[in-house]
Amino acid sequence: MSDTPETLHITLEMVGQTTFVCPRGRLDFGTTPGFQHALEQAVNGGGTAPSAVIVDCRELSYLSSAGLRGFLVGARAAQDSDVHFGVCALQTAPAEVFKAGGFDKIVAVYPDREAALA
Amino acid sequence: MPSLVEELVLLAIEDDGGIAPAAGQPGFGMALLGACLVELGNAGRIDVDLSAVLVLDTTPTGHPALDGVLKTIARGEAAPVAQWILRLSADAATVVRQTLDGLISRRVLRFEEARYLWVLKERRYPLRDGREQQDAKLRIMETLLGEQLPTPHDSVLLGLARAVGLLEGFLSTAEIGRLEDRMAKVAGLDLIVRGVEAAILEDQAERARAMMMPL
Repeated sequence: MSDTPETLHITLEMVGQTTFVCPRGRLDFGTTPGFQHALEQAVNGGGTAPSAVIVDCRELSYLSSAGLRGFLVGARAAQDSDVHFGVCALQTAPAEVFKAGGFDKIVAVYPDREAALA
Repeated sequence: MPSLVEELVLLAIEDDGGIAPAAGQPGFGMALLGACLVELGNAGRIDVDLSAVLVLDTTPTGHPALDGVLKTIARGEAAPVAQWILRLSADAATVVRQTLDGLISRRVLRFEEARYLWVLKERRYPLRDGREQQDAKLRIMETLLGEQLPTPHDSVLLGLARAVGLLEGFLSTAEIGRLEDRMAKVAGLDLIVRGVEAAILEDQAERARAMMMPL
């Protein structure tokens, strides 16, 4: 679990072989380094890599261009480690940013956790 | 390693030091301005969302081209990326000149001025050893031919180069067509590149409307 300055709180949860990264709040220039660090932690899995890392975005309220770069860095790290990477439960505003940035073409997008685990 | 703005300028330099025709189009200046915004974002001076370019810090970066853009944005009313690109497009020539000056002073390029037909001047910017340009081209090719996701830098470089026709300088039309699917997937994974694309389209539409106006 980690806090990044001001407005993003991140928790990691393991469900079977899948790690859920759960950001709560705003993902912008100030909070992206902490998010990237959490993604790296999740991909590395403390030595044993999970089979999948899913960012659960149900409490992500805001996403900026800097935050998108964090997703790309995380997706690359997952690809390098042969870990499936995806997002679930994107809310309307962040989902628009995700799509506008073209990320729905490179990252698996699931409606919810259940779909991500299926 | 050259900055994103510098790499775009280098991609516009032809083997004989001439400037690629694509760089004579308004879209090239807009791509450079977009690259400035990306660099300012990386430097923590701005962030961008769908509604606006947000100024976070007005401290100069030390790069004349970036600082000019930052100053203008900090003084202006909030607007989305595409609108800022259009507003800033009058400054594009300054960004080109400052970037060329920087590359010449760092001895990446040389400057030559020749006369032809006795009166017409022609400016050329021959590459000194071409390493920096070759590196940018190689990274673009690796992104296009490989399966790995690109770095944010390379995705933006590819996206902006594609948007203004710079890929035609080192890829054939057939190759570009063959790589279109991969390009659509990995080029310009960034809100700023999307803003530049929208600004170019709006500018082209505006020019087309102007041409159709009765005299």
